[in-house]
Amino acid sequence: MPQHMVKYEPTFSMLEVNLAPGEVLIAEAGSMVARASNLEMDVKLNAGRNPGFFGKLKAMMIALLRKVVGGETFFVNHFHGGQGGWVWIAPALSGGVRHIPLQGQTMLFSTGAFLASAGEVDLKLRFGGLRALLAKEGAFFLEASGHGDLWVNSYGAIDEIYCNGTYVVDNGHIVGFDSSLDFKIKTPGGGAMGFFGSGEGLVCEFTGQGRILIQSRNLGALVEWLTRLMP
Amino acid sequence: MQVNVLYRPSQTVAQVWLQPNESIMAESGAMMGMSTNVDMQTQSGGLMKGLKRLFGGESFFRNTFMAQGGQGEVLLTTPLCGDMAVLDVGQRQWQISNSAFIASSTTVDVQTQGSGKGFFSGAGLFILGTQGQGQIVVGSFGAIEPVNVNGELIIDTGHLVCWDANLQYTVGKSSNAGWIASYLSGEGLVCHFQGQGQVYIQTRNAQEYGSTVGRMLPPVQK
Repeated sequence: MPQHMVKYEPTFSMLEVNLAPGEVLIAEAGSMVARASNLEMDVKLNAGRNPGFFGKLKAMMIALLRKVVGGETFFVNHFHGGQGGWVWIAPALSGGVRHIPLQGQTMLFSTGAFLASAGEVDLKLRFGGLRALLAKEGAFFLEASGHGDLWVNSYGAIDEIYCNGTYVVDNGHIVGFDSSLDFKIKTPGGGAMGFFGSGEGLVCEFTGQGRILIQSRNLGALVEWLTRLMP
Repeated sequence: MQVNVLYRPSQTVAQVWLQPNESIMAESGAMMGMSTNVDMQTQSGGLMKGLKRLFGGESFFRNTFMAQGGQGEVLLTTPLCGDMAVLDVGQRQWQISNSAFIASSTTVDVQTQGSGKGFFSGAGLFILGTQGQGQIVVGSFGAIEPVNVNGELIIDTGHLVCWDANLQYTVGKSSNAGWIASYLSGEGLVCHFQGQGQVYIQTRNAQEYGSTVGRMLPPVQK
């Protein structure tokens, strides 16, 4: 595991990673702040580890889909160097960065949550269900599994909730959750009025036991608020 | 002149105390409040200087605040959320990213640097250089971190606040692979620093923020 530290939490968080020789950090396009000059940066298609031809084709499809759905980028940057070195990474929005060590377990994240990863981490796209297509957020989730390190970012501060039974979270406030949880995307209640009038959009209802990471701000809400002010 | 930075690190205000007849020059629009004995003068410092600033992505005018008949107070802010730093100018001279400049003592001359590197770097990087003695106030989008350069360092141009004028730098592509790869990487352009000195960086990039939120907004109707 590369040495790492998150500074300037919770608003202006920045991730510092110190790579040992041979270690590779994969980071979201455009997220680099600075790096040691002995580290190299390669741009790669966001295709997971050692993809074959079909793997690449699939990644292309997924990348295109992501582009349409929004959130995630087409390309990622690989940082590495023969002597190692440090690299600093920061998200675009004001918010936190959370380190998620993966030891074989699977977690799901909203598509915009990915910041960086190291080690044997697999990222796949998972369909959130037909209903989710109605909402701007939550149509797809990012499924992370394997052994390694993952860093996710949020808009606003990150809070962790332990779901024991059931719990409901607004779609736009989800950062991620354990795959041990079952989830159902639905309207917040109150029928059609609830969907169109409550201002809550869609919610995710979790059942089972596991962690849910939520963020204290909602990008969709910011965009809506700004849109109303635009000429 | 005494400058206190209040409400760090996100909602900073520079509280400037001026001695009688002392003055400070500030970017236009930066003033939030001032005591009534402070007199504000708007100057361009000459047409050419003003035009040069305008060309450099700054405002044509700058404001000078002078305390009269006693001590005066001026409060200065920036449009985005972030931190500020007060730096001494004299033994050390600074180069400042134009968007980071807030204010300077009137004994410090702050000039837009000739086109060249600054202009061709794109990415909105226009550079101001200091001369003289006194203090400057710079502001960031995000947190500010001073980084010591000893040898070489690569920094995204959108994350630069200011740096030691002693440092050598070149603006170039972010990836070793080529221009196409650099474009796809989303990193835009980077600054390669060389030598010894300090660079102040900011942990957020205004353009990155703008494009993330901006592409979700409806197109502007003209």
